Amino acid sequence: MMKKISILHLGGTISSKVDYKTGGVSSKFSEKDMLELYPEIKKIAKISSRLIANMLSEDMNFQHYNLISKEIQKEVKKGTEGIIITHGTDTLHYTSAALSFILEHLPIPVILVGAQRSSDRGSSDAELNLICALNFIAQSNFSGIAVCMHSSTSDDACLILPPTKSRKIHSSRRDAFKAINSKPIARVTKQGNIGFIKKITEKNGNFKLYLFNPDLKIGILKSHPNLSSLEIKNYSKFDGLVIEGTGLGHIAVNKIDSLTNENENVLKELKKLAKKIPIIMTTQCIFGRTNLDVYSSGRKLQEAGILGTQLDMTTETAFIKLAWLLSNHKKEEIPKLINKNYRNEISSRTSLDFLDYVYT
Amino acid sequence: MEKLNYKKLGFKAGLEIHQQLDGKKLFCKCPVKTNKKETPDLTIKRKIRAVAGESGKKDIAALYEEKKDKTFIYEFYQDCNCLVEIDEEPPNNINQDSLEAALQLSLLLKAKIEPKIKIMRKIVIDGSNVSGFQRTMLISTNGKIKTSKGTVKIETILLEEEAAKKIASNGKDITYRLDRLGVPLIEIATSPDIKDPEHAKETAETIGMILRSIDLTKRGLGTIRQDINLSIKNSPRIEIKGFQDLRSIPKITEYETKRLINDPPKKGEVRKAEKDLTTTFLRPLPGKARMYPETDHKEIEITGDLLSKITPPELITERTLNLERKYNLSPQLAAEIVKKKVGFIRYTKEFPRLSPKIIAYILVEAPKELRSRFHVTKKLKASDFEFIIENLNSNKIPRDAILDVFLKLSKGLHPNLTQYSSLSDKEIEKTIETIIAENQGAPFNALMGIAMSKLKNRVEGKKIAETIKKFT
Repeated sequence: MMKKISILHLGGTISSKVDYKTGGVSSKFSEKDMLELYPEIKKIAKISSRLIANMLSEDMNFQHYNLISKEIQKEVKKGTEGIIITHGTDTLHYTSAALSFILEHLPIPVILVGAQRSSDRGSSDAELNLICALNFIAQSNFSGIAVCMHSSTSDDACLILPPTKSRKIHSSRRDAFKAINSKPIARVTKQGNIGFIKKITEKNGNFKLYLFNPDLKIGILKSHPNLSSLEIKNYSKFDGLVIEGTGLGHIAVNKIDSLTNENENVLKELKKLAKKIPIIMTTQCIFGRTNLDVYSSGRKLQEAGILGTQLDMTTETAFIKLAWLLSNHKKEEIPKLINKNYRNEISSRTSLDFLDYVYT
Repeated sequence: MEKLNYKKLGFKAGLEIHQQLDGKKLFCKCPVKTNKKETPDLTIKRKIRAVAGESGKKDIAALYEEKKDKTFIYEFYQDCNCLVEIDEEPPNNINQDSLEAALQLSLLLKAKIEPKIKIMRKIVIDGSNVSGFQRTMLISTNGKIKTSKGTVKIETILLEEEAAKKIASNGKDITYRLDRLGVPLIEIATSPDIKDPEHAKETAETIGMILRSIDLTKRGLGTIRQDINLSIKNSPRIEIKGFQDLRSIPKITEYETKRLINDPPKKGEVRKAEKDLTTTFLRPLPGKARMYPETDHKEIEITGDLLSKITPPELITERTLNLERKYNLSPQLAAEIVKKKVGFIRYTKEFPRLSPKIIAYILVEAPKELRSRFHVTKKLKASDFEFIIENLNSNKIPRDAILDVFLKLSKGLHPNLTQYSSLSDKEIEKTIETIIAENQGAPFNALMGIAMSKLKNRVEGKKIAETIKKFT
């Protein structure tokens, strides 16, 4: 018997089409358009489809993560066996991480699908992404959140990517999403052949939601040369900060000569801020693990109260995790909880092939 | 066979001419060049589906192709392809040079230029465009050309992207090579003002000449293509594509007219011009729901500022006539100077001491002589011409030595010019006196031969003869 799968539309390129009035692309796609455009999807599963929002993903905030999660909860209660969420690609990896944290012991597969080329063009990548995601749900026992996007620039297979360890790393290519510090979960061909790459072990338990506090203000600061202490001061009214450090997790805090006086101020401001809010260090290298023990600047940062050493979370996942922890726990618990692995967002080993393994 | 009365038949025909432009591609910075490598750097597989155009209906021609459920294989070459051609990056800003060439052409054809140019997507799902559409834009309308049988109106001038070249097909898979995809292409469509097959050829030739008058026009095999749209009374419209040679236009058009008389099809067709001067069925004539707006590029405003910078080039025919008159050249030589773009006028301005005729000789005739007399097949470099003209101008090369220097240059040698340096009268006299003394009693011709071989390239023959005569 065919599985019951719901497609929840959130908008984005996958559900964009030309607006003949403005000449630009906008998310004006109805849920019916999707079924009309891809009639073949009805052969894979029993499809129902509805619109939750119609937006570009860069416009989303924490409230949307709560809204989507509640919609997923409704579907689970209705007996839906799998969900596809169509989503803009720009912040899709933030959403996938957020949903992972919110939805504990999610009993069904929920696959986020995007497209880099809108559905109204003949060469859109939407069809393959959608069909691979449907096939993956229809033919596997997977449960939990995942992302489904093109495996290469060819239209032949997609990767099922881990929700807390993936990222958009290209502005326009259809294979823009890659696993970061992890392997993909599986590779799915258009014909529905599934090759599992990484085993995901989900603990059994009661399905429960831990939502975001939409009032939280969390910042992301990218470390860079010629940093001013004013940039640190900007975050004084925030609830939390992620610093995307250079290399192993660094920011300018060493005064070594008369030219580096400002660095002293940076360290001073960081110390002040770390007393008020949790600050998590990640790496702007994208791949790899932080380590604040190797260089003196890293040690100074740890002394100042900066968290996040020896973790391999992406900046985006660290940002979502910090917001989620602050939404559900006391501020004082963050130094301990940030190191706890909740949703496979931290890998214990850094495997050699995380960076350049080719999945064909 | 009886000659057809085209007027009586209600013969109507228009031309659609496609001309490639050189330089960079239309929506990226990839160079316009033909790939010469055996194997592609990357092969990718894609599917294309028909999408609804602006009218909301899937195009009938598009659906026809979709039924075949094909996989398209694209051969990608790093040196002339980037992400834009494989639809992995939005189009970059339009290539300003090709836009300006299209504007130049519009002025030459006296067409009315659109104040705002909107880029459109023309649905193409035979796979020849990776994106599933061809970007195209209307540049100007309502132009005209004069022909021996009256004015032929130019309905539209478009600037568009060239499609990829089909390499192989095996039923399900079609392979395209991507080097050509995205090359700027000008499309000129005439009104159905063409009166008979000969007139079609004349019109194509005239438009071809006008196109070649534009600097950016690409030359060589396959860089220009002519399609003919034709109908007669009570027949549907037929489009014939793929003429290999303008000379085949009258015969193929006549054949097609006879086919329309004897065996008219029910619906419009696109047909291919064959080498045996017949035509074969390609596909049904596409319907109208083929266009929708290109949303990835802003509208292009043709400002007065831009237009004031565009000057239409002189037509090849005018250029040739002006050269003939101004420099007193033969029509044939003038035509070759224009055709080969050899920089004749630049050289005459730079070296006013040299006669235009000798410059023309060096640029056009000397290379031909090298080919016919010395079998030099290698193409001479611009720097070779420059070298010879410069040194001729400064008297370092005598006229008689031009071919000799060319020959050395063509072999990649650097000629030692001192061997050509002219001798003083005293030196010439001394050499010739010695020759006469060494060859006492030898006749004039023998002395001349010996002296020529010794003084070759340094003293003109006339001078040698005079000196010999003086001393014998």
